[in-house]
Amino acid sequence: MRNRVVITGLGGICGLGTNASAIWDGLRSGRSAIGEVTTHDLHNLKVKVGCEVKEMPDHGIPHRQTVSMDRFSLLAVIAAREAMRQSGLVEGDADSYRMGAVVGVGICGWEAIEENYRALLLEGKNRAGIFTVPKVMPGAPAGQVSMDLGLRGPTFGVTSACSSANHAIASAVDQIRLGRADVMLAGGTDAPLSWGVLKAWEALRVLAPDTCRPFSADRQGLVLGEGAGMAVLESFDHAKARGAEILGEIAGVGFSADASDIVAPTVEGPENAMRACLADAGLNPEDVDYLNAHGTGTKANDMIETKAVKRVFGSYVKDLSVSSTKSMHAHCLGASGALEMIACVNAIREGIVPPTANYREPDPECDLDITPNTPRERQVKVALSNAFAFGGTNAVLAFKGV
Amino acid sequence: MADALTTDIIAKIKAHAEPGGEEITAATELTALGIHSLELTEIIFDLEEDYGIEIEMNTVDAWANLKNVGDIVAAVRALIAKKA
Repeated sequence: MRNRVVITGLGGICGLGTNASAIWDGLRSGRSAIGEVTTHDLHNLKVKVGCEVKEMPDHGIPHRQTVSMDRFSLLAVIAAREAMRQSGLVEGDADSYRMGAVVGVGICGWEAIEENYRALLLEGKNRAGIFTVPKVMPGAPAGQVSMDLGLRGPTFGVTSACSSANHAIASAVDQIRLGRADVMLAGGTDAPLSWGVLKAWEALRVLAPDTCRPFSADRQGLVLGEGAGMAVLESFDHAKARGAEILGEIAGVGFSADASDIVAPTVEGPENAMRACLADAGLNPEDVDYLNAHGTGTKANDMIETKAVKRVFGSYVKDLSVSSTKSMHAHCLGASGALEMIACVNAIREGIVPPTANYREPDPECDLDITPNTPRERQVKVALSNAFAFGGTNAVLAFKGV
Repeated sequence: MADALTTDIIAKIKAHAEPGGEEITAATELTALGIHSLELTEIIFDLEEDYGIEIEMNTVDAWANLKNVGDIVAAVRALIAKKA
């Protein structure tokens, strides 16, 4: 019998709020935090729409620590501290060599890249900032979280573009299932609202000019956001033994690759990841009440995801509540799956399906029950969370109540 | 009374230190500054550029050989004298 993996703490920060409960308050009321980017210098960019953390909370992390962190690391540490607080675990309570961290990252620490190439190429400085290497590396957030919380067990970054957080969470689940750790901090982070990153996304012509409208016939693309989400994952036995409040269980994980095209998704890849997840969780399609869709708001993704969902759920699809919360927190790349975990766990706990905001027009090619604009009350026993990515690297998580 | 070089170096350190901390003097231990060791190295590199000197040490030695702010001042002063 394998170790069951439960969630005992959640933390988050994104445009919707600077803690997990503020984020959930926004999600369950259908409030979109997408708008004009005003606190990041975007220079001559055409697209100014994004979903930013307008003001950092008073996090109390000392200067000698923040000086070595890029924004994506800081976001991850803020979210990890919150998750740890909620779990009730304090340093020294458990064997620190049995606690680790896996943090998904879609890009890297781009703030430092941006600062450096501007300083070197435009301002004529002749050396790079001394923290550039440790700030930029995609493994930095995992390392920073481990240092901040004193975790000495399995710790590493995970990257798979837009599905990074789901791969990271699944990888942390594996550490516990394999008996390498009792407690894992797991989630994802990214801070892509900088000139260089947005300029590159602009070239792909997939950014929406106004807002993100997943599954709506008039959708015009995705919106990028920044944020982080982290959870404390724990073996069921460890959580039970210390009397922790259990927020939910990660019932299963499923992976697949499209093995087709670096940007264009297939139907089979996402379909197989969902099937693999259900099989791993020992669930049937009809056991699932809510699906948090990848739902980026691009023409291709939403149509193909609809096809894949219908193949997996068959005739039951009419009873399945679906939504894309990216309509509210935007696409936070490496953080997306982690923010969507906050949506899934709370949907189960409160019996509320967060809606797809900004929805205007039905699209016959996206004919799922996508919970348009208004949250829906219904019992949610099991929630699935889809994450697909450039590279065709798909990862799906299944959550259930305990 | 601190001389111009000491004042300048303390000002550079202050820009990196935690605001609202204790007053920095030549006697302040580097470990008491609340500055990351790599950041201190960066301050030394800034001094190299500003004074046109070359400090021969790698980033590890920079931290290991200097104990207080006065040590940095003395090291820079000696290099300026050597250059002249």
